[in-house]
Amino acid sequence: MANPDPVSQTEDLVLEMRGIRKEFPGVVANDEVSFEVRRGEVHALLGENGAGKSTLMNILYGLYKPDGGEIRVNGKPVSFSSAREAIQAGIGMVHQHFMLIPVMTVAENIVLGIEPSKGFLLDESGAEQRVRELSQQYGLAVDPGALVSDITVGQEQRVEILKALYRGADLLILDEPTAVLTPQEATELFQIIRSLQADGKSIIFITHKLNEVLEIADRITVLRRGKTIETAPRAGATEASLARAMVGREVLLRVEKGASDVGDVLLDVKDLHVLDDRGIEKVRGVSFTVHAGEIVGIAGVDGNGQSELIDALAGLQKVQQGTITVDGRDISEATPRQALDAGVGHIPEDRQRRGLVLEFSISENVALHDYASPPDARWGWIFPGRMVEHAKRLIKDFDVRGGGPFTRAGGLSGGNQQKLVAAREIDRDPKFLIAAQPTRGLDVGAIEYLHRRLVSERDEGRAILLVSLELEEILSLSDRILVLYEGRIVGEHTSDVSEEEIGLKMLGGKEKTAA
Amino acid sequence: MTEPTPTNDPGLVPPAEDGSITTFAARLALKQRSGGFLVPLATVLLAFLMGGVAIVATQHGSIGTRIHNALRAYNQIFDGAGLNWIAHPTTSIADIAAYNLSQTLLQTTTLILTGLAVAFAFRCGMFNIGGQGQYLVGLIVANWLGVDFAGMATLPHILIAVGGATVAGAAWAGIAGLLKATVGAHEVISTIMLNWIALWVATWIFGDGGPLQNSLNPADPVSNPVAHSAQLPTFWGPQGFQGVDIGLFIAIGALVVFWVLLNRTTVGYEVKAVGFNPDAAAYGGINVKKNLIRAMAISGGFAGLAGAVDMLGYLYKYGSLDVGVSQVGFLGIAVALLGRNTAGGTLFGAFFFGALLYGTNHGLQVIQHPVVSAEAGGDFTYIIQGLVVLFVGADLLILYFWNSRKKLRPRARGKPVQAPEAAA
Amino acid sequence: MNTWTTRLDNPLSVRLRDASVTGYAGLGLGVFAAFLAIPPIEARAVVWPILAGILGASLGVWTVTRGRRRLGWGAVAAGVIGIGLGILATRSSAGNLSSVFDATLFAQTLSFATPLIFGAIGGMFSERSGVVNIGLEGMMVMGAFWGVYGADKGNSWALGLVVAMGAGGLIALVYAFFAIQLRSDQIVGGTGVNFLAVGITGYFFVTLYHNNPIPNGVPLLPNVHIAGLGHFLEGSIGDLNILTWAGLALVVVSYVVMFKTPIGLRIRACGEHPRAADTVGINVYAIRYGCVVLSGVLAATGGIYLSEGPQGNGSFLFDMPQGVGFIALAALIFGNWRPAGAFAAALLFGFSTAIGLRLQVYSASYATLFNALPFILTLIAVAGVIGRTVAPAADGKPYAKQ
Repeated sequence: MANPDPVSQTEDLVLEMRGIRKEFPGVVANDEVSFEVRRGEVHALLGENGAGKSTLMNILYGLYKPDGGEIRVNGKPVSFSSAREAIQAGIGMVHQHFMLIPVMTVAENIVLGIEPSKGFLLDESGAEQRVRELSQQYGLAVDPGALVSDITVGQEQRVEILKALYRGADLLILDEPTAVLTPQEATELFQIIRSLQADGKSIIFITHKLNEVLEIADRITVLRRGKTIETAPRAGATEASLARAMVGREVLLRVEKGASDVGDVLLDVKDLHVLDDRGIEKVRGVSFTVHAGEIVGIAGVDGNGQSELIDALAGLQKVQQGTITVDGRDISEATPRQALDAGVGHIPEDRQRRGLVLEFSISENVALHDYASPPDARWGWIFPGRMVEHAKRLIKDFDVRGGGPFTRAGGLSGGNQQKLVAAREIDRDPKFLIAAQPTRGLDVGAIEYLHRRLVSERDEGRAILLVSLELEEILSLSDRILVLYEGRIVGEHTSDVSEEEIGLKMLGGKEKTAA
Repeated sequence: MTEPTPTNDPGLVPPAEDGSITTFAARLALKQRSGGFLVPLATVLLAFLMGGVAIVATQHGSIGTRIHNALRAYNQIFDGAGLNWIAHPTTSIADIAAYNLSQTLLQTTTLILTGLAVAFAFRCGMFNIGGQGQYLVGLIVANWLGVDFAGMATLPHILIAVGGATVAGAAWAGIAGLLKATVGAHEVISTIMLNWIALWVATWIFGDGGPLQNSLNPADPVSNPVAHSAQLPTFWGPQGFQGVDIGLFIAIGALVVFWVLLNRTTVGYEVKAVGFNPDAAAYGGINVKKNLIRAMAISGGFAGLAGAVDMLGYLYKYGSLDVGVSQVGFLGIAVALLGRNTAGGTLFGAFFFGALLYGTNHGLQVIQHPVVSAEAGGDFTYIIQGLVVLFVGADLLILYFWNSRKKLRPRARGKPVQAPEAAA
Repeated sequence: MNTWTTRLDNPLSVRLRDASVTGYAGLGLGVFAAFLAIPPIEARAVVWPILAGILGASLGVWTVTRGRRRLGWGAVAAGVIGIGLGILATRSSAGNLSSVFDATLFAQTLSFATPLIFGAIGGMFSERSGVVNIGLEGMMVMGAFWGVYGADKGNSWALGLVVAMGAGGLIALVYAFFAIQLRSDQIVGGTGVNFLAVGITGYFFVTLYHNNPIPNGVPLLPNVHIAGLGHFLEGSIGDLNILTWAGLALVVVSYVVMFKTPIGLRIRACGEHPRAADTVGINVYAIRYGCVVLSGVLAATGGIYLSEGPQGNGSFLFDMPQGVGFIALAALIFGNWRPAGAFAAALLFGFSTAIGLRLQVYSASYATLFNALPFILTLIAVAGVIGRTVAPAADGKPYAKQ
């Protein structure tokens, strides 16, 4: 320590990244990004989807090679070519999508790669013992012997954190850790983060949620379009100032909409029970109605029966018990085709997996529901020219940019793909429209467009069911809000309900007494 | 290669394990877009180059002589396939080049149909590795109907035999489709099993004591020949002695049917939608299970038709020893892959492999002092076939070609095929 | 969906699929097969016991896949034995019974199972690491030919074994390069390997031996003689081939490696979730390369047994395995991608081959048909197994490093 780096000496930086540049074909993901983390701090990395947060962290973790720039860990310049090297340097990463193997136990997942052994053999009990010690040390309760496929999402996240700690991580990267958690589970996570911090660990907390940043972070770095915009201490930061830095302009937090003009009941669901693909009952006796001219929002944590409910309404999943009626027509036993014919429109939650055939052209995708009926086809014979005409009209009406009728749908950006799906569904003039996660992963412009469109379709007199994991979206768009918890509706609210109250309901209201 | 771009929602990138291309048909579509005609051509050249290495390695003499011999071998295969006919076109079957060409055309006929059998299933996202079994079932039924219904008028007899074999092939493949649709059994495994079942059934049925063994000589494990009324008329060369029969036109008709079915009918739209993305297809209102079964059955129909055309066109009878030797169903895989599962591509692929098959097997027998002996010629076909299949299946190799092609045109420099989509 | 495909899910078919019902029905049919031919029924045609037996064994397979393993296997065995007994009863007096069922039947079962064990365990390594291997047949034919070649030229069976393993490893390396490095579709790649291997071995066979098909006096893989075990044991295990013993050891060793060691954990991680393995610093490509090459080495060992083992007599025939590689693949699937399961399936298939061979004496025609039995059983197993997602999750998916 004869001549230590002056910067490290003054600030005790555990990580410095300077002038990081990373280019992907056609996109500059990181443009001269600078970022540093002090020892023992929680440093939030804030930015919209696509701002370059994940790219920066993947570079740090050795998954991508930077095109330029310098990385120092504990003052020493490093260049990781694999995750293994990053791990050895004391960096741990909890990915947004957990990297766990469902058919293996918690302990096996944690020790994988650095297994304790007895001779040639794997030391299973030693592994479990080590995991138990670690989990007690940091208050991360998990059962080492349980199969990962049997534990909850919150527990999976703890396993991921334990995985990093087992590898001796001093610097933990948490990539959007609260995306899969309820507000209450998030609070627990924050407690874990604080106990890690108390133990001297440094944490990088990636998010695009402003309230979380203000709650947990010591310092905040904002990225926008691949550039560092600012690094600031939490003190003095407000949601508005962060939002401005993140988006580059004032954000419209509420959607402009008039009072709803409620008409007849268009969707009537009575005592609905639905099983998932594995035969587990995920919807357990749901009853509700949606009227013409209103948006009903379904709030809930992912996995509480939303997908099964949507699929049942669209005829994609068998109804176990109960009835679904659309405008007086019973579609409980309907095939997807019959549901479509009854007037159900459906913007699916995953446009790439389900909403579009990415290999098809725009015109073929526009015809996805009506390829077999006039004017697109007659007696089994298809008229491609008519599909193209139809596509041209929708491209114009819905402002789909980035290609013409012959463009492959997969070549469009996410926002335009979603517009295309919405265009197709709305153009069929459905009586009842399901909008599942309609703005997931879109940029602000596309979000605004789709929100306005949904409101105007409501005003046209359609019944709209909005299912979203973004509570903010539910609150700003819905006329009525239903909370789904473990396959049951546990609350019905008007749109002026508070976020906290909904959050509590999303956990079945049990958390209050437990805590 | 698979960086989820900033603008791509990370949550929508399919399960992070692979190259983000999920279905078989989608992977193939990638190839469809990339490289056009270049990749199949490069594939064939590369395969020939490596096949040449095998010849060079097993020849004697100086390296110059060896290379010269390798080139001569290809020339002889070319001649053996009758492709030198183009220099002196004649319709006289007595001309050796014309005769060879006619035999190449017979092989091509079969391979068009077995190629289509593989290609159609591919377009629905399934790998029909069972063309051989479906072909054998077609052979069996065509022989049975062709022998048993002797005495009928020609046209109805042919129609019954051809139709029966086609339906039988469809039913055989339909088993795999049904298993996939109902219990999710992978079609690759089930069609492999069905191949071997068909193989042993055919061996038994034509063999000693088998139901279709000939009635004259019980020691001879060969079937009866089909009746004259069921034989397809020939239009080039003698009837009954491997002249080219109208099966060639049936095969070309099947190519047209294949194209029309896929590109101009709702059946084709459904097949392609299911092939590219079954989830989206179901969401669109398409019955996925029905399509899996139907597409597999149509595939098998093509292979069964191949069996009928061979049996009624020039084989007429079949022996249990022929069963294990026949490989046309498997060759169909190479034909379809080389032809990128399109109608036109399958035609060229079938002609290429038909010429290679006849040129190396029988064509070499009529050549003076062949470099590759006629006995080894058939094996040589296998080597080329294996290399072609390997190369055609290699994504990155194709992407490499595609990208290097793009580099030649700097103006059009864009994203590589797998690159993420640019921002709006 | 109220289409006809979903009607298969109605309560009756559900009840029929109940494991114990199918199991006992299979057991019953197996016994029935044996009694079909004797008084009072006395069915003349041999086809009836065969049909009843196959049906019984099939139901047994279904039962195994539905969880009632012991009962299911019992039904399978009853079906297969029933066929044998039934055929015997139609053809001959009870005195001939011992000529079909005796100690050497046990030995033959093990003998026919040997190449299947090597192939299936080889396939298990490859598939557990995430690379589907339908090129087993091709890797076997490489072992069959180059094994004879090595033993012939080096005048030593051990050298032949080494050459066979090398040749199998080499073609597996080619496959690995395409499947892993170039991210080929693995089914397409495996199909290519099968063609290529048949072509290479055939071409070199003709070229190196100049149409002189059987090299004479090639040293064969030796048998291990064990004396003093008593009549039955000596007849069954007293004279087994060295590779048969090696195969039995392989089952145990591969189980320990795959499920009890750190390397096995890593292999399985690569086959289940390669990205997870990658992010904890496991070199997925290296593991997969290693496993695929190992599968080639093992399959080729099974291959040399075909040409250099007791049934091969040091000769090579074009496309020699004639489906043995695919039966090994079937045994792997049948056995749930586990060593013990693959071993049990290999024994079953070996047993049915041994029975089929003996039936030749009574009816060559039906003995031929009997060869289809392993494939029929596997077809049913595949139909039943699915839904319990037993294949490694990432099996067959090329992995792109980031």
